[in-house]
Amino acid sequence: MSYIEMVLAVPLLGVTALLFVPSWKTQTIRNIALNSSLLTFLISLLLWIEFDSSSAVFQYTNGICSPSGFSDVTLARAASSSSFSALNFALGVDGISLFFIILTTLLVPICILVSWNNIEIYVKEYCIAFLVLETLMLTVFSVLDLLLFYIFFESVLIPMFIIIGVWGSRERKIRAAYQFFLYTLFGSVLMLLAILLIYFQTGTLDIEMLYLSDFSETRQCILWLAFFASFAVKVPMVPVHIWLPEAHVEAPTAGSVILAGILLKLGTYGFLRFSIPLFPYACIYFTPLIYTMSIIAIVYTSCTTIRQIDLKKIIAYSSVAHMNFVTIGLFSQNTQGIEGSILLMISHGLVSPALFLCVGVLYDRHKTRLLRYYSGCGQTMPLFALLFVFFTMANISLPGTSSFPGEFLVFIGAYQNNSFVAFCAATGMVLGAAYALWLCNRLVYGVSKPDFINTWSDLNRREFFMFAPLIAGILWIGVYPEPFLDAMHCSCIYLLYAQ
Amino acid sequence: MYLEQSFHKQISFSSFLFENDFLALFPEIFLVSTGIFLLVYGVITSTSKSLNYPLLSYNISWYAIMALLYTSLLIYNSPINNAVLLYNTLVIDDFTQFVKITCLLSSACCISMSLQYIQTQGDNAFETLILILFAVSSMLFLTSSADFISLYLAIELQSLSFYVLAALKRNSEFATEAGLKYFLLGAFSSGLLIFGCSLIYGYTGVLSFSECAKIFAAGVVPFDGIQAVTTESALVSLGMVFILAGFLFKIAAAPFHMWSPDVYQGAPTPITAFFVITPKIALFAVFLRVFLQSFYDLFPIWQTLVIFASLASMLVGALAALSQSQIKRLMAFSSINHVGYLLAGFACASIEGIQALSIYLIVYIFMNIAVFSILLCNMRHTHNNGLPRIKYITDLAFLAKTNPLLAFTFSIAMFSMAGIPPLAGFYSKAYIFFAALGSNLGVLAVVGVCTSVVSCFYYLRLIRIMYFSTPKTWCSTARVPRTNALALAISLFFLIFCMAYPAPLHLITHKIAIALCV
Repeated sequence: MSYIEMVLAVPLLGVTALLFVPSWKTQTIRNIALNSSLLTFLISLLLWIEFDSSSAVFQYTNGICSPSGFSDVTLARAASSSSFSALNFALGVDGISLFFIILTTLLVPICILVSWNNIEIYVKEYCIAFLVLETLMLTVFSVLDLLLFYIFFESVLIPMFIIIGVWGSRERKIRAAYQFFLYTLFGSVLMLLAILLIYFQTGTLDIEMLYLSDFSETRQCILWLAFFASFAVKVPMVPVHIWLPEAHVEAPTAGSVILAGILLKLGTYGFLRFSIPLFPYACIYFTPLIYTMSIIAIVYTSCTTIRQIDLKKIIAYSSVAHMNFVTIGLFSQNTQGIEGSILLMISHGLVSPALFLCVGVLYDRHKTRLLRYYSGCGQTMPLFALLFVFFTMANISLPGTSSFPGEFLVFIGAYQNNSFVAFCAATGMVLGAAYALWLCNRLVYGVSKPDFINTWSDLNRREFFMFAPLIAGILWIGVYPEPFLDAMHCSCIYLLYAQ
Repeated sequence: MYLEQSFHKQISFSSFLFENDFLALFPEIFLVSTGIFLLVYGVITSTSKSLNYPLLSYNISWYAIMALLYTSLLIYNSPINNAVLLYNTLVIDDFTQFVKITCLLSSACCISMSLQYIQTQGDNAFETLILILFAVSSMLFLTSSADFISLYLAIELQSLSFYVLAALKRNSEFATEAGLKYFLLGAFSSGLLIFGCSLIYGYTGVLSFSECAKIFAAGVVPFDGIQAVTTESALVSLGMVFILAGFLFKIAAAPFHMWSPDVYQGAPTPITAFFVITPKIALFAVFLRVFLQSFYDLFPIWQTLVIFASLASMLVGALAALSQSQIKRLMAFSSINHVGYLLAGFACASIEGIQALSIYLIVYIFMNIAVFSILLCNMRHTHNNGLPRIKYITDLAFLAKTNPLLAFTFSIAMFSMAGIPPLAGFYSKAYIFFAALGSNLGVLAVVGVCTSVVSCFYYLRLIRIMYFSTPKTWCSTARVPRTNALALAISLFFLIFCMAYPAPLHLITHKIAIALCV
């Protein structure tokens, strides 16, 4: 059993254990969920420790090739004569997916920790939903089959729909859940047809085989657009980003953490894994489209952020801006850009969840997310204020925090390709500083409003523990990003220059 | 020695003319005679004064389940697997075996799901079960029919039982209306069918599918000794179009779907479940045989029509269901939508298409079993002690609160019907699209994909009502009966884990597709 199989198996074992615990034993349920997700995290760290960063091939592959794992001759033959037999549960990790896996396993225990007290209904179902979601997301990042990637990419919808709809905060949550579901679904069904078309041409859906195959130029463009329809919704690019603020605002805190930390990365991961290496011609052909959409998104959402009054919406829109930096880096056709964008994704996966956690902390205490009720948190909650300012600084990519090396590399990459784009994207830095500092100003400084805010309790120990790994990660990447860049370097080069 | 053996065979064949035929037909004979036996038993016992006029429905439904299970065992173990019986009237092969077993098991499931309904309803209509048995046996004959006469006779026996079943609740206006509508439209469609058959017969002079195939393949018909008339004639096409129209009527495909929402809504729920789940597979089986065997050389003509019907069914099913408020009507439109996907597999007419169609049918049966075994459970209001069942979709609102497991199963079934990935419904839909792309029917694939997103709206609406809305009247479910729970568990397991190990399903459907196409 390879490490990656163990990583996938542990949350499922946790789910199985949870099924047998009666639902009134909430404390036991939470303990089981937390421990199994922590164990998953530790095993996933082993993936990194044992990782051979001098090779671009997929590591920890499990070598299952028949759909069933059965060696029965007739079954294998029947399967190979019928068409979806190419569906193989081959798993593997390379420098690109490694950090997404670790990010996922890191965030899930935090999600369970953040909802330790504030989830009171359906605790068991909640924990099960999160562990199932974790397995699905880990599978998306580690699976080496295009159709299976699609299947797990989509199946994330079901637990997320339930999480937003059941444990979300207000009446509007239903609309949010609907929007989330239907936007994503409509984007991705076209991708299904594209996958089937690829299968018709090549006869395989294995990623490594597909990297070696060639498509005609027109077909590349059609396939690229079909994939784009799906990924652009997930990223989100600008005309189809409406679902994101809604879903974020209505989701419970842990839901937002997962949504911002992992689910937004699915789209960019898809670009990275499939669009760029499979359709190189179409990528160059459509780069102006991506650049235009990304720049519009950066400027537009940054300006939108300034006038929001809902705390979560502010952070959600700033996520949109950051993810569009990532797409600019991805399509810059050089290693700096791609490595920078991966680093930026990881960093955004730490910073944005941290900010959502901060909002969650405030919401737990005062049950509102509207900014006008808050002011002067620095006086009543000094520790919280310190952390909030720190994470805000990370959000505007202050040097020394994790976002800086990522964004810097993205700018280098974009500048080499198209200096005008780099210039336009850099305005996002200024606008980002504007909204983030403005938010910080209104929330942390000023006089507190005792009419609205009449309970003063700073962070407790549980909350501090859920922030601690994020702080550590942000500082580590900010000060010493080498271990991360080293591990992904070979894979990125292979991705760009393999053909 | 060799000669001797063959001589011996000849002797035995001529002396026992029907011996092998009876052996091969044993399952059907068993089922029909069980039906007759149960009818006699029911009539005699239910009118017996000494037994105080007992209610027999529950009793007889167990016998019926047993009979169906035994028949499927008999078919599975049948010594003759590949034969043409009764002077080219019936045919049995892998395909018919599979279809028959599926029919039998799904109808056994339907009866066992409605056991509690039958018990609590309290009306002494044991003839329902007898009629169901006869309908199932007619499906068996239908599946293996090899000429137009046996096809028509089997369809008529099935439809006749269905007309009576639809109008079974004599004191309900809806049921009588449903029965009447079903009878009129069904008789009309049978008329279309028989007119098509008679045109074909009048033109070719043969009734058997294989003879027809030979004539059409040769491109000529023996017409008064002069072999000059080609099959491209308008009359043959006309006959075929009539047969196709009859078929589309029977499966409720879109231009001919008007009867199905009314009938599904008006009929009692167990009967609706039976209508939704079982007859489609038998009808698809026999018409696949007709169109792939006899009319294969007229492929371009019927393919266009089937593509049209498929597109229309997908659109009608997806759009019309958006505004339904009654659950059975919603399921009727959803089944029209599914028929659209099935017809997309039909239109491909390739091995992949047939395989996709049979996978879709199996998944469709499982999904509907899950839905209807929930609808057939008893629900109890807190205020009055009546036993209302789910009629409007808003009646589902309490389900997630009072019985979360049931709600979970229902929503999994809904997600699966909508075609969301890890579930079986996605697998079957993806396979249909795959087959459609393989036969250059990209339009079907694109429209199918879009309508599946549209249909997501109303499947999600059911889930939303269950999970997110607060009910006006609180109902609580009475204890879910054991048979329903079993059916639910099996279908849930299938829907979730089908993707994990699809190889057996593939193997079976591939085998039957080859049996049909070669």
